[in-house]
Amino acid sequence: MLVVDDLHAGYDASEVLTGTSLTVKQGAVVALIGANGAGKTTTMRAISGVLRPSRGRVVLDGKEVQGLDASRIARLGLAHSPEGRKVFGPLSVEDNLLLGAYARLPKFFGFKAAAQADLDRVFELFPRLKDRARQAAGTLSGGEQQMLAIGRALMARPKVMLLDEPSMGLAPVIVQEVFRTIRRLKESGITLLLVEQFAKSALEVADYAYVMERGRIAVEGTPEELGRNERVIAAYLG
Amino acid sequence: MKRVLLLRGAELVVFALLATVPLVVVNPYALGLLTLLAIYGILLIGLDVTVGYLGQVNLAHVAFLGLGAYAAGLAVTKFGLGMVPALAAALAVGLLLGALLALPALRLEGPQFALATLSFAALSTTALNELEGITGGAQGLSLVRPPLFGHALTPALFYWLCMVLLALVWMVMRNLLSSQWGRAFEALRDSPIATDAMGVGTYYHKVAAFSLGSGLGGLAGGLYAFNFQYLQPQSFVYDLMIILLLGVVLGGRKSLWGAFMGATVVVLLPNLLSNRLLFQIFSGAGFALALVAGLRGLVKKTTRPFQAFAPVVAMGILVVGGFFVENTEDWRKGIFALMLFSVVVGLPEGLMGFLALFLAKLFRVPPAPLPAPSDLDAVLPPRDQGDGPLLILDDLKRYFGGVKAVDGLSMKVRAGTIHGLIGPNGSGKSTVVNVISGLYTPTSGRMSLRGAALPEGSLNRVARAGVARTFQNLQLFSELTALENVMVALKGVYKVPLPLVLLGFSRIEERRARADALALLDLIGLKDQARAKAKDLTYGAQRFLEIARALARKPDLLILDEPAAGLAHPDVVQQIEIIKRVNARGITIILIEHHMDVVSELCDRVTVLDGGKVIAEGAPDEVKRHPKVIEAYLGQASGSAPSNGAEPLPA
Repeated sequence: MLVVDDLHAGYDASEVLTGTSLTVKQGAVVALIGANGAGKTTTMRAISGVLRPSRGRVVLDGKEVQGLDASRIARLGLAHSPEGRKVFGPLSVEDNLLLGAYARLPKFFGFKAAAQADLDRVFELFPRLKDRARQAAGTLSGGEQQMLAIGRALMARPKVMLLDEPSMGLAPVIVQEVFRTIRRLKESGITLLLVEQFAKSALEVADYAYVMERGRIAVEGTPEELGRNERVIAAYLG
Repeated sequence: MKRVLLLRGAELVVFALLATVPLVVVNPYALGLLTLLAIYGILLIGLDVTVGYLGQVNLAHVAFLGLGAYAAGLAVTKFGLGMVPALAAALAVGLLLGALLALPALRLEGPQFALATLSFAALSTTALNELEGITGGAQGLSLVRPPLFGHALTPALFYWLCMVLLALVWMVMRNLLSSQWGRAFEALRDSPIATDAMGVGTYYHKVAAFSLGSGLGGLAGGLYAFNFQYLQPQSFVYDLMIILLLGVVLGGRKSLWGAFMGATVVVLLPNLLSNRLLFQIFSGAGFALALVAGLRGLVKKTTRPFQAFAPVVAMGILVVGGFFVENTEDWRKGIFALMLFSVVVGLPEGLMGFLALFLAKLFRVPPAPLPAPSDLDAVLPPRDQGDGPLLILDDLKRYFGGVKAVDGLSMKVRAGTIHGLIGPNGSGKSTVVNVISGLYTPTSGRMSLRGAALPEGSLNRVARAGVARTFQNLQLFSELTALENVMVALKGVYKVPLPLVLLGFSRIEERRARADALALLDLIGLKDQARAKAKDLTYGAQRFLEIARALARKPDLLILDEPAAGLAHPDVVQQIEIIKRVNARGITIILIEHHMDVVSELCDRVTVLDGGKVIAEGAPDEVKRHPKVIEAYLGQASGSAPSNGAEPLPA
């Protein structure tokens, strides 16, 4: 569903990605782990077009999308839930969610009706968001904002979802909830690329995993294989 | 050293060349242009302080030029003063009115600040126009250039006077901007909150910078008056302001050379417009430059198509227009607008930024070597704060409207310990930190440090009382280097008073400051990246740097707000090591953290908050078993909670 081949990207003079290649199969949850500065978030940004890759290919559902604007790539079926959540603070929870479906909805009238089924689905997944549907997103707690960011990405009915650091800055009890959610999404058949600092937890839910080091993939394999890899254990699993 | 010599050499050569001009050039018109160049040079250096260093849109600068001009003019015509007192009056008017405008205006941000300066400019033009009894109103004010020390000033002598003043301003500003003052200006542009929290008074520095920039505007105004010997309020309106902004942006912000190049453009522009052939050559050259730069950017994939083509189109309009337009001067506002647009889009760093890159490649001068780090024991002496409580919070409350974010918190932090503060998201931890550090005023309750009441509601005063903090959402000075980030916060090093700083006497203490800051960078393992801009560091390194910067305050109490958030396992291990090292020097620490393994590893005692109240307190192991804590925070199986995959951590 998503193929990344020899991707190069960076900021100003410094190249962060030096030839990243990875594959996410339909219906798979793939984890991307590694140290800070290894290029995980940059990989996500280069895939979704927020950052323009300088070389390499990104193939989404059989179509090359590298170099396209982020909004085009989103319309082609990729949803990026960014690091730090980035919800639209002053807008209500419901408006945040509707914006997630923006590309699919009629522009002037009846957009809420058109999105109702998806709204219901997200509210079912996160009942707490339903209670706060009219509340400004900026006033939610960190955990609720993370739920909202995931919900907003789901609203687009994406072919592939990128989820960057969903546990960052959250209390342990909320982190557990986030991973329960990811597990439920996985059961519903979502195709997901997950960047996560909690490497152990990420490997528990993933079908396949990549370890990044200095801008490229250093090790890859199923969670079981990585769990047997001495070097990975030492560096990332403790 | 070589780099400095090269720069000083370039300055000397340029000024020496400029000084010989009147000996060679006899054309009075050319000499007049060069005199204007010196005047506008001073003017733009002043504007660069607010626009470049403070990063504010300042539309009042043209008013200070006008006010300075009239101050000098009136000093001569009404009070019969000489050249020197008249120029001093122009400078003083700029400094004073600049400070007066800055006091209220700098409480505003962004567009509001721009509007405030715009209205000040409108107001001062109106005043100059309507106070006919004093200024002569729209009739204008004629004056005769007074003698200097008894010598009548010929055009050549006046030119030299202007150049000498430009050179003086250049030196003084270079000294100032390369000292702690310049760093403070840049720091408060990047993060006013952190600047205050590092004990560098944000507001004070902002007002000082604005007043200084306006003072230079006034001084330039004085010279302007004696250059033209005739003043009209209409000369100082927003048309000129746009050209001045164009000059600063085109020349390159935050650079004396940039201001100088900008002044060249400002002086030459009117002449370009009055001569069709010159204008066509100029716009053609601009078009070619934009095209080459745009294509190069596209091929190298450093620019997006819009950024590459927009300036080409804009300059293309100028070229085509040059053939059709009857009189280019009628179109001057449109022409300036197109040029400003092209520069902002295509050359955001300005001509100087572009040239600097090019020159750096050409000369490849290595930067001056850094001094050897100071002895850490001298920078951050190990201390023994005794055994008693360092910080006492008593029934602390902070409400936001109806929300009780902190609701009656009492807590004692023992000296020399690491005290953990944990709780679910929204439990009030961050609010507690913001109240202690002075970002918020408590609704009620008492706080004391070492038995003395802690100042309330002022980041700056709390910082000076000996509390330093880091920020959960990084608040580094992103455009400054790692070293400079630490140097901004250094306490007890900068003692040279402002007048001596202007004369360049801060160099001695700068060396010491660099060595001290390096010692702190060494402590967190970033010594080798001292010259990297904070924004270019990896996320982990940025988190470490926050701590080094806070340590530069030499604090009694250090508050760490989620120092391990977002860090991967290897960095978490390093962060723990750093915090241990800091604590070993006797610094008391309050640690807010969600990684329970970090908390267990580091903390002597832990307070757990929920809903703004304490629900448990004790040693980490006790707290972890507390049923309320498990329910509200840790989740059912605290042992197997996602633990960053890092449990147990190596000691």
